[in-house]
Amino acid sequence: MNDATAMGIQVLGVNHRTAPLEVRERFAHGAHEVPGALARVIAAGAAGGVLLSTCNRTEFYLVAEEEGVAEAVWDLLGERLERGAAVREYGYIARDRDAVRHLYRVSSGLDSMILGESQIQGQVREAWEASRAQAGPVLHRLFQTALHVGARIRTETALGTGTASAASAAVAVAGKIFGDLAGRAALILGAGDMAELAATCLAAEGVQVTLVANRTHERARAIAERLGARALTLDEAWPHFATTDIALCSTAAPHAVVTWERVGAVIRGRRGRPLCILDLAVPRDVDPAVAQLENVFLYDIDDLQTVAAQATARRHEAVAAAERIVQEETDLFWAWYGGLGVVPVIKEFRGRMEALRAAELERALRHLTQLSPEDRARVEQLSHALMNKFLHQPTVALKAAAEEGRGYGLLDALKRLFGL
Amino acid sequence: MILTLHLVALALYTLATALTLAPFVGLRAPPRVLTIALPCAGAALHVVAVSQLTLVGLAPALSMLALCLVLLQLASERLVRGSAVGFFTGPVAAGLVGLALLIGLAPGAEPSAGRNAWFILHVALSVMGLALLALAFIAAALYLLQFRELKARRFGRVFQLFPPLERLDQLNRVALVAGFPALTLGVLLALGYAVRFAGGLHVGKAQIVWGLFTWAVVGWAVWVRLVRRWDGRRAAFASIAGFSAVLLVYLALKLVQPGAERFL
Repeated sequence: MNDATAMGIQVLGVNHRTAPLEVRERFAHGAHEVPGALARVIAAGAAGGVLLSTCNRTEFYLVAEEEGVAEAVWDLLGERLERGAAVREYGYIARDRDAVRHLYRVSSGLDSMILGESQIQGQVREAWEASRAQAGPVLHRLFQTALHVGARIRTETALGTGTASAASAAVAVAGKIFGDLAGRAALILGAGDMAELAATCLAAEGVQVTLVANRTHERARAIAERLGARALTLDEAWPHFATTDIALCSTAAPHAVVTWERVGAVIRGRRGRPLCILDLAVPRDVDPAVAQLENVFLYDIDDLQTVAAQATARRHEAVAAAERIVQEETDLFWAWYGGLGVVPVIKEFRGRMEALRAAELERALRHLTQLSPEDRARVEQLSHALMNKFLHQPTVALKAAAEEGRGYGLLDALKRLFGL
Repeated sequence: MILTLHLVALALYTLATALTLAPFVGLRAPPRVLTIALPCAGAALHVVAVSQLTLVGLAPALSMLALCLVLLQLASERLVRGSAVGFFTGPVAAGLVGLALLIGLAPGAEPSAGRNAWFILHVALSVMGLALLALAFIAAALYLLQFRELKARRFGRVFQLFPPLERLDQLNRVALVAGFPALTLGVLLALGYAVRFAGGLHVGKAQIVWGLFTWAVVGWAVWVRLVRRWDGRRAAFASIAGFSAVLLVYLALKLVQPGAERFL
């Protein structure tokens, strides 16, 4: 048996159900932080790991001993909290079959804040690819199948029907402030995919994306050209808060960039004209204190997801069918995973028995020198037949137990009884 | 006939109000065509009924005010593309018709053609001006409620069912800007009516005080919006304060001079 199957699959993390945004944003890991975090967990005893970090969740998928590496994960996350705060009060653990089911539910959007949202599929794929070197064969298979499950549920059920995303919610919220969005001016902070997607949604409603600001001017210029806007650096953007109607923030900054100090005085100069700030970033880009300014309407990713979730009424009808697919696929994976451990044990068991048979046959034939070659062949055939008969039932029972996901007890007994 | 038409109009207004309020209690929103067709039908019957009244006294004035509110509600449906104005105008209009019925409605004697035209125009424009001030108040109240929900990041029924902030602000501005000339013309027609038909004019001091006070309040509200460039929350508070003052002064004057024979 290899290490992976001797250990077990676990998922440890926090998500939108267990932790508020101000906590989740502390646990968010950029792509560059993933290898280091996984290396620490693997050094603590895990055989493989994948780190999935999105705006809604930070989850470590691990192949590890039952309790061995959990402490390492909690310590790693706990370092990002303020002193005195305990990460465990926000965290959860799921093991083995439950961990598999959890990932399948995540990848299909069943566990998302916006039921059935499709962005999570890409995020699961990115997490898998970012952790490829450290995932190991079991998690490779698990994430591969998770993407298949997500795609299957979207194809076979109505879970992904209709438009419900943070970007569409951004349009809805801005529309509740301004009514007709045509001709409104928007300023985009950040040059990531999310910023561009939301900006495109706003532009489709007639909003004029006039400025794109980013830490690196080159990236800002690339998006600005696509949206027909002007590129700026972040520092050049602050004065434009006096004139823009909508500010869409989605930078990768690890802390708030839109602060009271930077935009407070500028916004006060608007003379009461409403300013809608849509903060799609995790960690958040906008200091919550900015919302205290008169006529500033600030919404973060949780707000937008709440609005988007209201548009998912039809999707709720598809949940039962989606859960059935998750269950079916979990059983299939678990059968494969169980078989993964059983096959080498059976192989070793049969090898050991074959060696015993051969040794005993040889010893017996040494004393039966009077036998003709035909009789010797019959005796050898008899020994083979007896061994196959003896081993048939245990082999079938082990495979069946493995397929049902309860092979560990039998495997353990077999190893103890036969010293494997 | 007048009573029957009023009763049917009342029933239609009440039904339309119930349908409009249904989503607030978790029921499915009715088809939009129904929430427009019902008050439309009620208003059509109401117009026929009002045309048979002399428009003298409290009950006809209340009935006409209710009619103006329903007509403005229908106009607002088109302007702000939302039925939220009906949350306020519906119950108020139904209540005013009910109150008018309780006070007593009866056909009046036919005045002379000249007097009739001056008088009807004076009453119609004054009541419409008052209804527009009420509409400005309603738009302001809706604005403040939606503002509070948007600021507090609550996305419940108010967020979903109320119109966008800027449309409500626009409705408030339009109502005030249209209300001021209507009231001004109403006051001028009253003066002309007094001069031309001096022998028949019996206007009480209370009516003059309240009429001019209302005109001044609407004028002030229009002034702060157009000249001082107030908008948003400040303009909403101004509208609410103005309408409340007009209503309180009316009630105070009515307490001094009770009776249903005259509007004041």
